[in-house]
Amino acid sequence: MSASRDFTRLEQIITSLMRAGVAVSSSVLVVGLVLAFLGMSVSTTVLNAGIVLLMLIPATRIVVSLVDAAIRRDTLLAVATTIVIVVLTGQIFGWFKFN
Amino acid sequence: MSLSLELVTMCAGAVAGGLGALLGIGGGVLLVPFLNLAMGLPFAQATGISLVTIIATSSASSAVKGRLELVNLRLGMVLEIFTTTGGVFGLWWLGKRKDATIEQMFAWTLVVIALIMISRIDKRNVIKDPNIDVGVLGGRYMERESGGVVAYQLKRPIIAFAISFLAGIVSNFGIGGGIVKVPVLNAWCGVPIRTAAATSSLMIGATALVLTIENFQKGNIVPELAAAAVLGVLLGTQVGVYLQHRSKAKTHKLVMVVLLLSVATMYLLRIGK
Repeated sequence: MSASRDFTRLEQIITSLMRAGVAVSSSVLVVGLVLAFLGMSVSTTVLNAGIVLLMLIPATRIVVSLVDAAIRRDTLLAVATTIVIVVLTGQIFGWFKFN
Repeated sequence: MSLSLELVTMCAGAVAGGLGALLGIGGGVLLVPFLNLAMGLPFAQATGISLVTIIATSSASSAVKGRLELVNLRLGMVLEIFTTTGGVFGLWWLGKRKDATIEQMFAWTLVVIALIMISRIDKRNVIKDPNIDVGVLGGRYMERESGGVVAYQLKRPIIAFAISFLAGIVSNFGIGGGIVKVPVLNAWCGVPIRTAAATSSLMIGATALVLTIENFQKGNIVPELAAAAVLGVLLGTQVGVYLQHRSKAKTHKLVMVVLLLSVATMYLLRIGK
């Protein structure tokens, strides 16, 4: 019972988090573009920050799904999420560069 | 970087995002050829920018209330193992090929997508007894319209895994892969179309993220243009979702098929190259 209530709360938190993430990152992108139009060199840093913020949304979502798995006591979800996190981490640190 | 280039990119993003949302196929299939053929960006930059917009639309569409109820996270995450590895495999495998070869493969992918759309113009869902045993990767959800519970099992998991891997490879073309995955999961694996679409649109964010990391490190993502495209796509998606409720899906699908086939022909005949 309490697990399912926790789960509903978690879903609400995720939804608001993702909405906030989209709002924040697109605001940063707007600011970055305005700075670019004004010819200020800091614009590239701001724009890249906005893009990284955007990338953090799905990254956070994946990590949160581990919490989800714990609440549901779902081993399969936990294992699957861990594998996806390993692939992501490997991509960041270039473990799969064979060329 | 001139102002007009960013404005054009933003408008292209808006149109691609709008049409993508209207048809539920994602805007990448239109944004990539526009950036590449019409604006003359290298194919790698066009796909890199498109992937960033996919992260944005995936996040925005999953942040809508009630959407997560439709998502089968367990199924999505298991399939995501295959899609991310497919994506990484695609990075390596396509990385060894010439631009012209990659563009031809992209064109043939568009042809396949067009064929999928034609074959599914009149398809609907089959609803089963809600009391069935849904198995390890199946699920249930409450259907708003009927107030009933829809239950489903995952059938032919091997096909689901294979198509997810393929969708990962195809994501390297700057398209979400949902258009490849969703019809197959629905037609052959027993997953209701809404679950397949909601699950896929959440998970393609993860797929696009995996590929964006590489593109970001390689410098394929021009910040100004990526920002303009993201903002345009987010705006266009809102409009597309709004129009979706008040228009004939069949006509739009046919328009899309014609568009996809035209773009594919341009790539195959190397018009504008």
